[in-house]
Amino acid sequence: MSRLRISFWAMIAFVVVLVAPLAVAGCGGSSKSSSTISFWQGYTDIERTAIEQSVADFNATNPGFKVQAVFAGNNDYALTKLRTALAAGKAPDISYQYGSSMALLAKLPQVVDLSAKVKEPGFDWNDFFPAVRLATMANGKVLGVPALVDNLALVYNKKLFDQAGVPYPTAQWTWDDFRAAAKKLTNTSAKQFGWAYINDGSEDTVWRFLALLWQAGGDLLTPDNTKAAFNSPAGLKAMTLLYDMANQDHSIYLDSGNDNYLNVFNSGKIAMLWTGPWDISSINSGVKYGVQILPGDVSHATIAGPDNYAIIANGSQRVDDAWKFLSWYLSPEEHLKFAIATGDLPIRESETKLPDYTNVFLKKYPADAVFVANLNNVTKARPNIAAYPKISADLGQAVQAVLLGKLTPQQALQQAEQQANADIAAGM
Amino acid sequence: MTSAENERGGRGGLGRASFWDRLFASDHVAGWLFVSPAVVLIGLFGAAPIVWSLIISFQRNSLDTSGVWIGLANYRHLMHDPAFAASVRRTIVYTVLFVPITLFSAMAVAVALNRRLHGMRFYRTAVFAPVVTSTVATAIMFSWLLDPYFGIINLFLNKLGGPSQGFFQDPSQALYCIVLVTVWGWLGFAVVIYLAALQGIPRELLEAAEIDGATRWRAFWRVQFPLLGPTTLFLVVWLSINALQEFDEIYVITHGGPLASTTVVVYYLFQQAFAFFDAGYATAIAYVVFLGILALTVVQLLLGRKLVHYRS
Repeated sequence: MSRLRISFWAMIAFVVVLVAPLAVAGCGGSSKSSSTISFWQGYTDIERTAIEQSVADFNATNPGFKVQAVFAGNNDYALTKLRTALAAGKAPDISYQYGSSMALLAKLPQVVDLSAKVKEPGFDWNDFFPAVRLATMANGKVLGVPALVDNLALVYNKKLFDQAGVPYPTAQWTWDDFRAAAKKLTNTSAKQFGWAYINDGSEDTVWRFLALLWQAGGDLLTPDNTKAAFNSPAGLKAMTLLYDMANQDHSIYLDSGNDNYLNVFNSGKIAMLWTGPWDISSINSGVKYGVQILPGDVSHATIAGPDNYAIIANGSQRVDDAWKFLSWYLSPEEHLKFAIATGDLPIRESETKLPDYTNVFLKKYPADAVFVANLNNVTKARPNIAAYPKISADLGQAVQAVLLGKLTPQQALQQAEQQANADIAAGM
Repeated sequence: MTSAENERGGRGGLGRASFWDRLFASDHVAGWLFVSPAVVLIGLFGAAPIVWSLIISFQRNSLDTSGVWIGLANYRHLMHDPAFAASVRRTIVYTVLFVPITLFSAMAVAVALNRRLHGMRFYRTAVFAPVVTSTVATAIMFSWLLDPYFGIINLFLNKLGGPSQGFFQDPSQALYCIVLVTVWGWLGFAVVIYLAALQGIPRELLEAAEIDGATRWRAFWRVQFPLLGPTTLFLVVWLSINALQEFDEIYVITHGGPLASTTVVVYYLFQQAFAFFDAGYATAIAYVVFLGILALTVVQLLLGRKLVHYRS
């Protein structure tokens, strides 16, 4: 054998060694055993530990099949990940998804319609809070079961209120009370602000505005979801409040979207936030804070940010198994254990009746009592239509223009209304 | 002659070698095998997506369901989309500022660093450090420095009696702040290229200029600057290609805002693809950007051929 031919075979081996891992990586995903249900979630910290604990408990007692919890990357990308996985034919059986993604999930034939399953007597569907049930639906179908619910409440720094001699917020606070307090709590020379608003034009900007809009008695779209309805007296009132606070009182810290607001709150430079349970755990232990429901106009409406578990059709046996797991996982006792571990809110009414709720959960997370009570102020949900991301972007620009004083409330609303109607008409 | 060539010549001459023997012995096959790992990888992750995205750009496609063929509709929509036109304008403003500022400051810094000085290694390292710093870290650092309320830059401005600026939160300033951040990030790269070029210029040329009575300034403009021509051309092309695709800092700091004032064309593309899941439209934008970059590069190279002095 010549020297050249030896090197030829060496090269073949070299190429095989290089390419083989690629091939193996490419095929690895599909070789899951039929008796293991894959469950994609996107949490890292306490939640991940709690989820994995629940899954381990289930696997220890359930003989028929196993569940495997897989960290699939940040939940912000859950929809993109699921779509990519479906395109590649490697979808999980259960996938954690934001409530705002439901309309887009409705377009995917692989997402299982759970409308009939949730009505099974053992599941007790009506026990879930109305806000979380609403957020599982799109096009009249139930496309997921509730995974998490939170809502916006008023979180305030007690020390700053004491210093400024302003009484703490009450559940009866009106917009006027709120605006006046924010103004008193603002001290430009000390760079101290009454309130903070996330001003990057994203959904973070929009959902706080939706709470204001609902409080004033308005709504985003007409009831049949075919036209924008926010260019209304209620919409004008909400925009005007933002315009006046930002441009006359200068009482709002405008966060550029880098989430500095929480650091600034921790430094005692912001008196009030409209935020949810997820920020509570990041407040420094030295900061004495209180939680109150949002101020009101016509109502004290708030907005929920509910997330869901979708089931993906990978054969009827796997769907049944996934359903069996989720029914167990979302039972009142099991979910309360999860809530106690993480500080997440209960999702079922009956969880709040269990002894551990008062004895353990509320003792560990006293601030959560207000957030749980506030669930009753969640009366509306964002419309689950495919055009929502675009409408949200249109409205986000309008709110931003008003906060920066670049457009009057009236101009901003008109402009956003035109764009939103065009986006709905385009059927995106 | 190598032994391999000997062997091949010998065999071919006798005419006994089989097809496989000849194939195995051919330099072509050996060559392709050597590059095959790279070819496979680039083909799989480079060429295939390029072709695939061209196909998607002719479809209404949301990435998950199979697309619907709509011909040139995405491209037609693009021609009448004011938001796209605005993003192109911003990209041009950004590029027109970013490329010359980076070039001239890099040239100045490179000339300053091109001498024997105590601690020169430290200075060179310092200038290059931003290049190897992640763009995300750079972006976060600048978003703090330029924070309108608590940033150190406004603190200095106030100390000097000036008013606070909005920087990234002011729609009329944000794009210029992005230029600043990216110039800072790219400067070191251009400096290193210029330094290498400066060190390639023979000393005798500068000495000759000196003997002829040229001042240092004149010697730079008449001797060094023309000899840096090919390097400058390379940097103009390279920086322009990157400037037209600016994304990272905008994604991290401004999210395209405030009021879309930093929504450059690639950020707009990203929004279409991953906020609105309109992959067809996004890939159409990508192809227009690609053609734009291609055209600009060709023009730059043609102009360069006329303007740039190459040493023979």
